Amino acid sequence: MSVAATPSVTAVPAPRLDWPFLIASCLALVVLIALVLLDGQPAAAALLILGFALGAVFLKAEFSFTASWRRLIVRGQADGFLGGLLLIAIAAAAIVPVAALVPGFGGAIAPIGPSLIVGAFVFGIGMQLANGCGSGTLYTAGGGSGRMIITLAFFIAGSVIGSLHLPAFLRRGGIDPILASNYFGPWGGLAATWASLAVAALIGIAIAKRRGVSITPSPKIVFGAIAIGLLCIAVFAAGHHPWSVTFGFTVWGAKIATLFGADLSHAEFWQWAGPKRALGDSILSDTSSLTDLGMIFGAMAAAAASAPFARNPWPPLKSLLAAAVGGLLMGWGARLGFGCNIGAFIGGVASGSLHGWVWFLAALPGCMIGIKLRPLFGLSRE
Amino acid sequence: MRLVYAIVFVIAFTALVAEHLTSPSGGRPVSPEDFVGACAPCGAPCPSVQKK
Repeated sequence: MSVAATPSVTAVPAPRLDWPFLIASCLALVVLIALVLLDGQPAAAALLILGFALGAVFLKAEFSFTASWRRLIVRGQADGFLGGLLLIAIAAAAIVPVAALVPGFGGAIAPIGPSLIVGAFVFGIGMQLANGCGSGTLYTAGGGSGRMIITLAFFIAGSVIGSLHLPAFLRRGGIDPILASNYFGPWGGLAATWASLAVAALIGIAIAKRRGVSITPSPKIVFGAIAIGLLCIAVFAAGHHPWSVTFGFTVWGAKIATLFGADLSHAEFWQWAGPKRALGDSILSDTSSLTDLGMIFGAMAAAAASAPFARNPWPPLKSLLAAAVGGLLMGWGARLGFGCNIGAFIGGVASGSLHGWVWFLAALPGCMIGIKLRPLFGLSRE
Repeated sequence: MRLVYAIVFVIAFTALVAEHLTSPSGGRPVSPEDFVGACAPCGAPCPSVQKK
């Protein structure tokens, strides 16, 4: 209901700033920055701040991969999809050449095989049921949505289950990562990446024109794409790898499971060097956890700075069930598919890695099924 | 919802700080991709290595 339709609201204006949550989110960020600086980790402080900025930008620009893909599938509306491609093109401008030329930096790569395809497909179903992907879950949960807190909890649980299943899926075969810069050099790889994005954009435009709908992204989408693209480059500079979201969830879940007596250290996934180190070390030593936490606090601050925070009533039970099922599927799918829209699609394509496009092509039919399932949970197809 | 949100926030943040203070940390933050043999953002090995 709009303010204009309720004169009584103008008589007693609601507070625009929600001080308790605004202060809490900023204070939380400051405390975490102080803790990592005490440990001599300026890069960790940078990742927290960049995550905070990402959370605020995502919330203010209402940048949503889930909704934009749904608009493309249901109505043929390509504006959000084109915004996503612009974001990737900006990030690729730095990631492809730097990952190839500068020692210590690396792109987001992943093997191509059944694990990637099954994981991305299941993730696609989950993101439509949950109504948010990895980044979407973070910024909406941080922005005051109780429904998305449930999605986040089940996302975390699903990703731990996925970590236990991933090695078996990898044994089913696959091929090593295919990186454009390995074939065409750093700048040729960037040109190939931009060319692949141009082809995807032309397909999106063709679909929209055929359905007679808009292809012009709104200023909000363009602003979001440019700002998030530049922040992706900054995260890459601070973390030496493209921005990723879901590995942090897996680590949080594994640490919670360990707290309740589960011993994951013998599981194959947790014996690989990276996960083993992450399970033993502080959460604030893991790059994806740092940006994840910053994003939650950033979205919370942005939401609390503009309206009363978390005042919406709880949604119906069916919607909460969709949030839980969607979260579980996304968690499991993200672990098998080597990430979400951010780590696998954006990170992969912006690195010139073929797995990013394979992930997209596998997630898209999953989204179609997820959209068909939404009415079962009382959610609209649009 | 506001109260539930506040409780979740306080519990999660307290657990996070406690976990940090009781776990090893220091040096540069790392990603699983930083480790030798990592072939994916989660640190999974490459298929060509697994076959050996």
